Amino acid sequence: MAETSVIGAGTVVSGHVRGQGSLEILGRVEGDVSVTGNVVVGPAGRVRGHVSGAELRISGQVQGDLRGTLAVLLEPGARVAGDISGPRVGIAPGALARGHVQTDGEPALAAAARAPLPAARPVTAPARVAPAPVAPPAPAKVVAAPAKFEAKAPPAPAKFEAKAPPVPAKIETRALPVPAKLEAKAPLPPPPKLAPPKPEPRRPEPARVAPPTPQAEFTPVRPIKPEPRRPPPPVVPVISKGTKAKKKKSHD
Amino acid sequence: MAGTVIGEGLTIEGDISGDEEIVIHGNLRGRLTTTDAVTVTGTAVVGADITGANLSVAGQVTGDVTASERVDIQAGGKLVGDIKAARFTIADGASFKGNVDMEV
Repeated sequence: MAETSVIGAGTVVSGHVRGQGSLEILGRVEGDVSVTGNVVVGPAGRVRGHVSGAELRISGQVQGDLRGTLAVLLEPGARVAGDISGPRVGIAPGALARGHVQTDGEPALAAAARAPLPAARPVTAPARVAPAPVAPPAPAKVVAAPAKFEAKAPPAPAKFEAKAPPVPAKIETRALPVPAKLEAKAPLPPPPKLAPPKPEPRRPEPARVAPPTPQAEFTPVRPIKPEPRRPPPPVVPVISKGTKAKKKKSHD
Repeated sequence: MAGTVIGEGLTIEGDISGDEEIVIHGNLRGRLTTTDAVTVTGTAVVGADITGANLSVAGQVTGDVTASERVDIQAGGKLVGDIKAARFTIADGASFKGNVDMEV
């Protein structure tokens, strides 16, 4: 039956306790406890022996192994010396435990978990390969770089066609907000109006993100192109500054 | 407060000792000692020597009984063993086999 049994606070049981139903131990049990229901060991409860049940909630002292088919929960104040095993194991702050702790599910679950693991290992290797492509967010940055090329390229077309460049410029700024800001900043420094806001974004962004990753990546990947680009800013800006700034301002 | 309750379906093999009331719905094999009342309900099967203040038996008990106050065997109860108690009653329909010592 699902009836709940109680070992009172003033009761000492010397022997095995087993059977169906739940058990609440407020006193002492000197022996093994094995029930089909839940087992609660109260704050004053003490058990010297193995305890097995569905869900074990321990607030007292247990010297022996704890085996819960559903869960083993150690409440604050619990003192357990023995191995703990169950699909769910909880040890609350203030609970003391000494022994081996293992979280394992039902036999079926454990078998299922073990079966996928070996298969998962080969999968993990490809997964690692996959991460490599993922890591190439660097490539994404490279893509961003081409965007910069386009951005630089546009100025040339801008000379040819003033309407065409603005559109790509907008797209570039949206796709690569950070680099766009950097570029924008570079040209912007000259104008005093934009100067105050610049120092703030520059300090956090360039110092943290922009200089370390972009520089290292850009220099090895495209040492020639980036260098001309950066130096050009001082040179080109004179020509492009006015055009870009005017264009951007007008677009904005 | 019921003190200790041995639920139906639960089996204890060993000794139980304490100073509070004990109610047994399940099975007990061993020895039972308390300073308070002991109740053996209709579903209980006890094979143990029992020591307590009051003993009420509605189930099956096999073992010697020592009670400081009284022993009552309810209708349908079955007790096999010697009894030592100041007061002792056997209800109609109860079974009993053993010696009785009422400390005359």
